[in-house]
Amino acid sequence: MIGVFTSAGFTNVALTHRYDCFEGTTKQSTARRYRVQGVNLSAKRS
Amino acid sequence: MAVTCPVDLDTTRLRAEVQTMYARVATAPDGEFHFHRGSGYASTRLGYDANKLAALPSDVTSSFAGVGNPHAVSPIPPGAVVVDIGCGAGMDLLIAARRTGPTGQVIGVDMTEPMRRRAAAGAAACGLTNVEIRAGDATRLPVADASVDVVISNGVLNLVPEKGRAVAEIARILKPGGRVQIADIVIGKVLSDDCLRDIDLWTG
Repeated sequence: MIGVFTSAGFTNVALTHRYDCFEGTTKQSTARRYRVQGVNLSAKRS
Repeated sequence: MAVTCPVDLDTTRLRAEVQTMYARVATAPDGEFHFHRGSGYASTRLGYDANKLAALPSDVTSSFAGVGNPHAVSPIPPGAVVVDIGCGAGMDLLIAARRTGPTGQVIGVDMTEPMRRRAAAGAAACGLTNVEIRAGDATRLPVADASVDVVISNGVLNLVPEKGRAVAEIARILKPGGRVQIADIVIGKVLSDDCLRDIDLWTG
């Protein structure tokens, strides 16, 4: 995701927070297998 | 959950399944889903302010199905023009509307009609006159060029196969110096082509 924003010309692209948003759901094991996490992304248009 | 789109992915079917799924979240949020919903999830797992959520209509918060918290990145400044891509039932949208205040404007864009109805009803119930809900999707935003200060979104871009096009749309509508603060999911492993073609993994 950082690469997509950087390629589009955004600056200061960063992941600021991470969340285990699938913990406790029926997709928990799939999320762990593929290391899926929720994140916040911050970026600025130049 | 995919990051890139295989050339033979059935994007029409994917879009239809996403719309069906989120229409169900809008109309029956207490049903069975593979993801969390609601204000309790938002406050305990994603760090939303429980008091702010309690001040929103339950029809709005019950259909929340985000994966992070765009408002944790930076507060929306008063007077800002904000676009929420895939605003759903409007939880992030209405929080932004209260932050930006009467001198600002928030525009919610969603491709699912039942979600748009919920968001519009929520804004009306809160007496917010700086909220506008528009039909559209992330790859064709119904928003003018260089007109927006902040773009927010929560759990939407991962459902869009044409990510480059969606991000180009964000760049188009933002003013120079405008900010993106979105929540989405990332994958820590490289996925096989079979996984990338699996519609169930995209919608799940």
